[in-house]
Amino acid sequence: MMHRPVLLGGILLAVLGSLCPFLWFVLTSFKSQIQVEAIPPTWWPDGSLVFYASALFEHRLLHYVRNSVTVAGSTTVIALVIATPAAYALARLRLPGKTWVLGGLLCVAMFPPIVIAGPVWQILERFGGLNTHWGLVLPYVSLTLPLAVWILTTFFHELPVELEEAARIDGCTTWQALYKIMLPLAAPGLFTAAILTFIYAWNEFFFALLILTDPEQQTLPVGIALFQGEFIMPWGEIAAASVIATLPLIILVLLFQRGIINGLSAGAVKG
Amino acid sequence: MAGLELQHIEKTFGRTRVLHDVSFEVGDGKFFVLLGPSGCGKSTLLRIIAGLEPQTRGSVHIGGRCVDDVSSPDRDIAMVFQHYALYPHLTVRENLAFGLKMRREPKPVIEARIAETSTLLEIHDLLGRKPRELSGGQQQRVAMGRAIVRKPTLFLFDEPLSNLDARLRTSMRVELKKLHRRLGTTMVYVTHDQAEAMTLGHTIAVMNRGRIQQIGRPEQIYHEPANPFVAGFIGNPPMNLFDGSFRLDQRDLEFRAGDLTLRVPFQTHDRRGRPPCRPECADSGSATLGIRPEDVTFDLPGSQHVTIAGTIDLIENLGGDAVVYLIVQGQPLVARTSPLPTLRAGDSVTAHWPMDKLHLFINEQRVPLPSL
Repeated sequence: MMHRPVLLGGILLAVLGSLCPFLWFVLTSFKSQIQVEAIPPTWWPDGSLVFYASALFEHRLLHYVRNSVTVAGSTTVIALVIATPAAYALARLRLPGKTWVLGGLLCVAMFPPIVIAGPVWQILERFGGLNTHWGLVLPYVSLTLPLAVWILTTFFHELPVELEEAARIDGCTTWQALYKIMLPLAAPGLFTAAILTFIYAWNEFFFALLILTDPEQQTLPVGIALFQGEFIMPWGEIAAASVIATLPLIILVLLFQRGIINGLSAGAVKG
Repeated sequence: MAGLELQHIEKTFGRTRVLHDVSFEVGDGKFFVLLGPSGCGKSTLLRIIAGLEPQTRGSVHIGGRCVDDVSSPDRDIAMVFQHYALYPHLTVRENLAFGLKMRREPKPVIEARIAETSTLLEIHDLLGRKPRELSGGQQQRVAMGRAIVRKPTLFLFDEPLSNLDARLRTSMRVELKKLHRRLGTTMVYVTHDQAEAMTLGHTIAVMNRGRIQQIGRPEQIYHEPANPFVAGFIGNPPMNLFDGSFRLDQRDLEFRAGDLTLRVPFQTHDRRGRPPCRPECADSGSATLGIRPEDVTFDLPGSQHVTIAGTIDLIENLGGDAVVYLIVQGQPLVARTSPLPTLRAGDSVTAHWPMDKLHLFINEQRVPLPSL
């Protein structure tokens, strides 16, 4: 009990520390141009929505949001569709060299993006993937797959094999057992993998900048970064755009949090 | 409904052979128990029957049909798992309906079957609940219901009662027996619990190390164990087994194990006046002699009794009866008798048992002693 205040203090510090930059952006986004440039800086904004209007209409923010939704959404769907059966097979089947596959995936995930940037660019150029959304989704999928496969393998691994066998005896084919019984139970894992993949694709800047030079195709991070003019740094607009860019993630996490936390598999097996 | 036949089933995992040439037949509507210690291969055998595990050699016939190339979903069997394996995201009703839906039964049929099954197992109040909201006993019932509701030709049980506490286990055992009587479907039941095996089975197959040791009716298994393993596995406390050597002379079989010497006369007491007969075996060699604790008494011996002096080491009073641990001629001997308030540890006593209750095993095989 004595540790309680210390613990609470630690938690508060951690939360404040990670939220601070974000809070500053939120505050800035509601300031007016004069407040943004004031020295010494003012803390409390006067609630102006000018920057939001400017970000949305002058800088066509919604256009970038749409691109990002397309790219991050397709990345998530494709990555999960591939990762799910892969993880299921890795968790369940007696495959030779299984540990090597899992280890290999982990190694691949550790390459710094810059290492593969050149080859990726060349491949995409060859197949006409530059400045297309699929040209961006493709590397995203291959970069997020290892993590998704790892997360899902862990989840499938923890589900009792008996459930699957019960489904088999009840008349399911392997695939039916997978999507009727195992997938609903692995839902927390699916949510986790989906959110992490989505966040990665949503925030990814480097490949997006490299592959998408056409403003029509660009995603949010690139779009926002290019708000910057030759002589001005539109802090207010960038702040407003960043707030808008973060909102979907927060909403997603809040929505799926219940799904993630819900111990759906509790009671599957006694004990 | 259908019977089951296994022909020369073998199973190897890598280099380990877990089943050796297992063959048996289960008659239509019979309750067949596979009994053995953990790791003896009984669960693997059940999984082979279920089609969850392919056998390395041999074949499985259900209802006269070879099912070696038939996958589990099409074998028309139901299985109750040790850990129940209820689908946690589905309600009890959905759990029951799942197998029927997968087989595309029409809705009214599904409803009728669920109603019938839930009445039979008294689980109609639970239909709306999720498995995690049920107690262990209730989960067990639902697991049973999920098997029954499909009306399969063959039921497989994989230690279904082992997760219940002792009282619940006993009552479920009784219910299971009643259930079998009502359904009349062939059942194969795997357990390591001899009490379950003895009470439930029409036929018991005792397994050890991947081999069938003996197949027979419960009383056969108990009274005429085929080898020392079966003798020692069935019974509580287990049978007293003495490893030693024997020698046959004209009148007696003399058995020695360490300091213990027993003479088993077999020629002088032919009650029906038949000519004297001897056990069919060599004149001497190594042997195992067994006597069940419940056959050992301390009352006055009859004329046909083996009598042996010993010292009481320990007495366990179980209420209804007592387990007495003795040392007789340097060998431990366990007796199960009615409580003996006058006896104490350290007392010298004379233990005895009827001659015809002795079990003799030569070369790991039962040798029937000639009737005395």
